[in-house]
Amino acid sequence: MWRHVVRTLTKMVVTLFVIVTLVFFATRMSGNSIDYIIGESVTQEDRELLTRYYGLDASIWTQYLKFLGSFLDGQFGLSFLERRPVSDIVAERVWPSLQLLLSGIGLTLLVSIPFGIAAAIYRKSWIGSAIMTFAFAGYALPNFVLAILMVLVFAFTLNWLPLVGNGTPWHFIMPTIALSGALIAALTRFTRNAMLDVLSQDYMRTARAKGLPERTVILKHGFRNASITILSVLGLQVAGLAAAGSVVIESIFSWPGIGDLLVSSAIQRDYPVLQFAVLAVALAVVVINAVVDIAYAYADPRIRLGGA
Amino acid sequence: MKRLLATTAIATILAGPVFATELTIGAANVSTYLDPGRDHSNVGSQFYYNTFDTLVEKDHDTTETKWLPGLATEWKLIEPTVMELKLRQGVRFHNGEDMTADDVVFSLNRMYQATFTPYKVRARDRLENFKAAEKVDDYTIRIRVAREEPLWETLLNLQQVMIIPEEYTKGLTGDPKVAEDDDYEAFSLKPVGTGPYKVTEFVPGERVVWERFDGFWGEKAPLDKATVKRMPETASRITALKTGEADLITNVAPDQLSLIESDPTLKAVSAPTALFHVMIMNVNHPKLKDPRIRQALSLAVDRDTLNDALWLGKAIVPSTHTLKEFGALYMPQLKTFEYNPEKAKQLLMEAGYDGFEVTFDTDPVYYTNGLLAAQAITEMWAAVGVKGKVQVSDKWSGNSPDLMVRNWSNPMYFADPFGSFGVMWAPHGPSESEGRFNTDEAYAKTWERFRFSKNVEARKAAYAELMDRIKADPPVLPLYRPFESWAMNKNVNWSPKPGNIPYVLDFRAGSISFATN
Repeated sequence: MWRHVVRTLTKMVVTLFVIVTLVFFATRMSGNSIDYIIGESVTQEDRELLTRYYGLDASIWTQYLKFLGSFLDGQFGLSFLERRPVSDIVAERVWPSLQLLLSGIGLTLLVSIPFGIAAAIYRKSWIGSAIMTFAFAGYALPNFVLAILMVLVFAFTLNWLPLVGNGTPWHFIMPTIALSGALIAALTRFTRNAMLDVLSQDYMRTARAKGLPERTVILKHGFRNASITILSVLGLQVAGLAAAGSVVIESIFSWPGIGDLLVSSAIQRDYPVLQFAVLAVALAVVVINAVVDIAYAYADPRIRLGGA
Repeated sequence: MKRLLATTAIATILAGPVFATELTIGAANVSTYLDPGRDHSNVGSQFYYNTFDTLVEKDHDTTETKWLPGLATEWKLIEPTVMELKLRQGVRFHNGEDMTADDVVFSLNRMYQATFTPYKVRARDRLENFKAAEKVDDYTIRIRVAREEPLWETLLNLQQVMIIPEEYTKGLTGDPKVAEDDDYEAFSLKPVGTGPYKVTEFVPGERVVWERFDGFWGEKAPLDKATVKRMPETASRITALKTGEADLITNVAPDQLSLIESDPTLKAVSAPTALFHVMIMNVNHPKLKDPRIRQALSLAVDRDTLNDALWLGKAIVPSTHTLKEFGALYMPQLKTFEYNPEKAKQLLMEAGYDGFEVTFDTDPVYYTNGLLAAQAITEMWAAVGVKGKVQVSDKWSGNSPDLMVRNWSNPMYFADPFGSFGVMWAPHGPSESEGRFNTDEAYAKTWERFRFSKNVEARKAAYAELMDRIKADPPVLPLYRPFESWAMNKNVNWSPKPGNIPYVLDFRAGSISFATN
């Protein structure tokens, strides 16, 4: 078990280092941020002055070393545009993103597990077909389309729901649904399939033969075993949700989170902020994967006991 | 908004003319710092006028130039190069400090004798003639210039020389007796001025909250509170307006106007923006050295068609580099730029154009309609036989020797040709220093007459000569003056004032009101 944890953590650190390095060099190749800082009319001489002021005159290797050094002071450098520590800027954005992500995961679990189980049990009746039809439709609908459809109906036409920011609980409804729609659909399908696999196992027949109530058979013997598969799928999907989903959804709903920060700092070429925001998202993805990995090991004794 | 009207109604009944008013503004962009000194961006311009004052104030209701007392009540030249100003007494900063000559001298010298790099850069192109401000007594100061200055009021009305508090700023970081770079950086996150609204909350890039400053020296602000929130997506801004989450939104694209107009509860106002989208041509590119080639590239562009197709005909196509806001120096009679494809063909033939490719660089999104205009222009070139190619990149190529043609903009930083053409095309200015424009001694001499002649007619004559130079050896073609639209709830009465620089959200007394029914 511990060997597994250590291996997972080492992989995590190496992955993050590679990502940070890639982001650093990719941003440097995509344009000079000095043009975005100073706008339209400066002389070449003034451009050089400002380049020096922002520390962009140093060689790319010096800048890279400085960038790595900035990890040590815990501030991760200064934003080009806001001139305050990057860590402050990103910290402000973490909680709104996390709130949205957690409410998305909550909604996903609340909807997809009962419906997935129901779809497996009632697979031959209209209930199962109806659930699966919705799940396929939901999976096929990209989150930004769902978001814009909801905005059009519930905000633009009916004026029922607020659109901008995260001020009240009402503000959570549309972004949460938009963020988790596809995941709900996917997880409903996975839950159904996993349950179907389990339901046909011998131990299920044994459990029933022992005379256990159907409810206990399904939840304790059935779902418990299906949950390993569901967990790993959820982990992978949530990681994607944190990274890609939030960028789109936060922009549409002006949600003051990391995704929105990624977009604005990329547009404005605020490299220090962009780098750290990417790092924060990467960290979230890597941590979620690691947690899933470890939880998976915990749930599956074959891994926990050091087989694989 | 409904709640606001109800509150207003009750307040009106109870207390006569006292209003309880709040406004939420959805803006495409919110500044990442708020310091009028270092800033001249379109995003920043939205915010400064509500928060800060200048020594000399301008009548913004007209494009005519009319100067009014601001934080200075009177000013007169005591020597040809020394102006003495009497300061208004009883002016308070938002933090409660009284404004005195020390604050004014500090504010001015932070630009005139800049040590902080972002100030140095902003001061150089427009305030180079200003040498120092000095205190005479608590409410009198003197400003010294190097050469006799014909634009005193204009350059005392600049956003860059708005007045900030000395003690507060110096005390923000480090030694409270010394103005360090970090003090200015800290100020730009916690701005304090003397204007009718104080900034009570500033989340960089996200939100600015103003509240009425009751200690304001002039007529009190009409709003209790105004919150500007960033709403980057046009569709989100319009929806927020419809749901009542915003009362006023900025940057409504031309093709969205019909959506606003079809809603009986909303309205839009549009105004031509005081800037030109321009096409620049690198006079030093080996293939474009012959002025006839560049003249042809310019003559081939049918700007009226661009206006009709891209701006619903609402943009303004100029005959020369001039804006109505220049007042006495507005010179539409000059015919510097025209559309003449026949002449273009002839010039190309004379110059021996051999069919080489001319590249047109553009950012994919930075200028509204920029990419579409670039594509249309290369089609117009094709009509006179020039092979054009659009190169899309968000890299600034204006300082590259390989640049042939690209788009750019020439904003009006202040209402004088010096504040627009003069900033961009001065000898050793941005264009020349980037290597795509050349000036010589004759140009510099004419420019000096334009910049420093005390007589308006002499300035106009010199400007006309500069335009002749531009026509004969063109580095630039102003395409059009775009127009900008704002949308709001029908109950809000607001529109940009003609005498302001572009994009200012002016909520001072007399600038905004609400319909009472």
